Amino acid sequence: MTVSSLLASVLEQSTPILLAALAAMITLRANILNVAVEGMMLVAAFTAIAVGSMTGSAALAFFAAVAAAILLSQLLALLTLRFSADFIVAGLGINLLAAGGTLFMLERFYNSPGGLRPTSFPDVWHVPEGSLSFIPIVGKAFEGQSFIVILALAAVPLSAVFLYLTPTGANLRAAGEDEHAARSAGIRVAWMKALAVGISGLLSGLAGAQLAMDKLHFFLPDMTSGRGFIGLAATLFGGGQPWMTAAASFLFGFFGALGDRLQVFAIPSQFVLMLPYVAAIVGLTFARWRVHRRNRPARIAESKP
Amino acid sequence: MREATLSLFRALGAPLVAIAITMALGFLLVASITDDPVQAYRDLLFANFDSLGNFALFLNRATPLTLIALGVIFAFRAGIFNVGGEGQLYAGAIAATVVGVFLADLPAVLLLPLAVATGIIAGAILGWIPAVLKVRLAVDEVVTTLMLNTIVLLFTSYLANQVIRDTAAYGAVSRVVPQAIWLPPMPGVPGATSGFLVAVVLAVVAWVVLFRTEWGAQVRAAGTNLRFAYAVGVPADRRIIGAMLVAGGLAGLAGALYVLGIGHRFEQNFSPAYGLVGLTCALLARIHPIGALATALFYAMMLNGAAYMQISTDVPRSLVNLLTGLLVLLMTARLTAGRRG
Repeated sequence: MTVSSLLASVLEQSTPILLAALAAMITLRANILNVAVEGMMLVAAFTAIAVGSMTGSAALAFFAAVAAAILLSQLLALLTLRFSADFIVAGLGINLLAAGGTLFMLERFYNSPGGLRPTSFPDVWHVPEGSLSFIPIVGKAFEGQSFIVILALAAVPLSAVFLYLTPTGANLRAAGEDEHAARSAGIRVAWMKALAVGISGLLSGLAGAQLAMDKLHFFLPDMTSGRGFIGLAATLFGGGQPWMTAAASFLFGFFGALGDRLQVFAIPSQFVLMLPYVAAIVGLTFARWRVHRRNRPARIAESKP
Repeated sequence: MREATLSLFRALGAPLVAIAITMALGFLLVASITDDPVQAYRDLLFANFDSLGNFALFLNRATPLTLIALGVIFAFRAGIFNVGGEGQLYAGAIAATVVGVFLADLPAVLLLPLAVATGIIAGAILGWIPAVLKVRLAVDEVVTTLMLNTIVLLFTSYLANQVIRDTAAYGAVSRVVPQAIWLPPMPGVPGATSGFLVAVVLAVVAWVVLFRTEWGAQVRAAGTNLRFAYAVGVPADRRIIGAMLVAGGLAGLAGALYVLGIGHRFEQNFSPAYGLVGLTCALLARIHPIGALATALFYAMMLNGAAYMQISTDVPRSLVNLLTGLLVLLMTARLTAGRRG
């Protein structure tokens, strides 16, 4: 029973991180470090609550949230690919715009800078209680999870299939690995990058919708609280591979779920929350160190001063 | 000299266009909210000069922004995309506070320089880590500085909450540093920190160092063309690490001066994203030290002016956050269409 409840809370904590990580992964494979996931999640969460409370329809709220995130991602793609803005700067700009824009809307239209808490909000579909009891342990953990959790889990094999088994995925990876070679092979690099950013917007939108619509049903100005960056950390730790990225996301989600329980052992929660970020730096450094080791003879032969 | 004037003009001319576009968009937005957009914009920009008190707050706001922007400029000139300003700022602030609180018995003559030095060193260490990882192993510095930001923020939150917390005060704030080491106010402007003078002097020093010394030339060579720098015998690795030490040190100094001159204690949320806004100021000034002083002043004006605007008209102060996002988003875009793939 406790195993199931821990598993359920890990699943709940990991889902936004997993979606954010996959969002960052797709763009990373197109050689884009996507720091804008956080902002796209925030806008999706806000749109979900705003549209949901206005229309009373969960489906409309969900689709509006995803659409808003995709729209924002395409704004980023337009500025960077068409008007050659710097990806990192523009990505940080998207985050600032998302944070500032949602706060502005809260103050201007809802007159409540603290957040948006509609009195009634339509519920999304959750796995019904008792429907999966026939599966030991795992079944219980899935009961009561929203359909977005299922979508997130499905997104892992789907993104693996997309990247490795479809021609578009291969082109996208080619555009990321060697832009000039890809271009001379007739791949439309800018389109591939825009597609990667768009998919990243879709996944970020799902992450934001999950945050706002699963159980909370309200929006807070700092609601995403760095989950986009934890997702980015998970992607980098997982080396941009779908399965490794998913594993890292669950590991980080596990830290999050464990964070409060670890205080029993007198470990301050801040140190637990730090783990994903430390893991990202250590993982990346280790990966680069291995490349460095492997390349060492060649580097000596290069006779670097 | 003529060349220097020209480069200064270029540094000031380009951001004015980006700012003008954003301000025009903002004006349309304000006009849709209030009947008196001119009044709102006047307050946004010029209410800072209505009283000596407002002016003091304006200078206080500009101080950390200028210092962080200068730090970012050193990093960018060396070709390092340092987005770690926020973490370096917090590291400097917490280090100065810890020294001030725990060594409060030391005489002020010793304690003040010690607190400032510790702040600078704390920031410099945070600049050193990504620089070494970048130079030795080619680890992407954007990732490391970004991740270090959160690590430092969490670590300072631990210190502020559990170690040096002022239990009598509300929220996560540290104990107050001894009054003997508070920075004196600026002559003529009570309430403004003299740290602003430090920032102005350092802006000039930064220009001299970057553009009039061999060390600065080598830093810029490493940033412009690394292979060429190696080829002509510039110790590029060491210059990159050195520039990042300076960058982190300046942001750390910003934190230390904030604690000693403005806050007098560490507050967990003292920075309204100074790191990112400082980076914005540096980029708007086309990474020119003197230009960055101008853009930092402009931004301080906007950040404080937003509060006055909200009081006098009903335009939400978060308009500035919105405009900042827009500005950062558009800042590096070029109006001429880029390559099409």
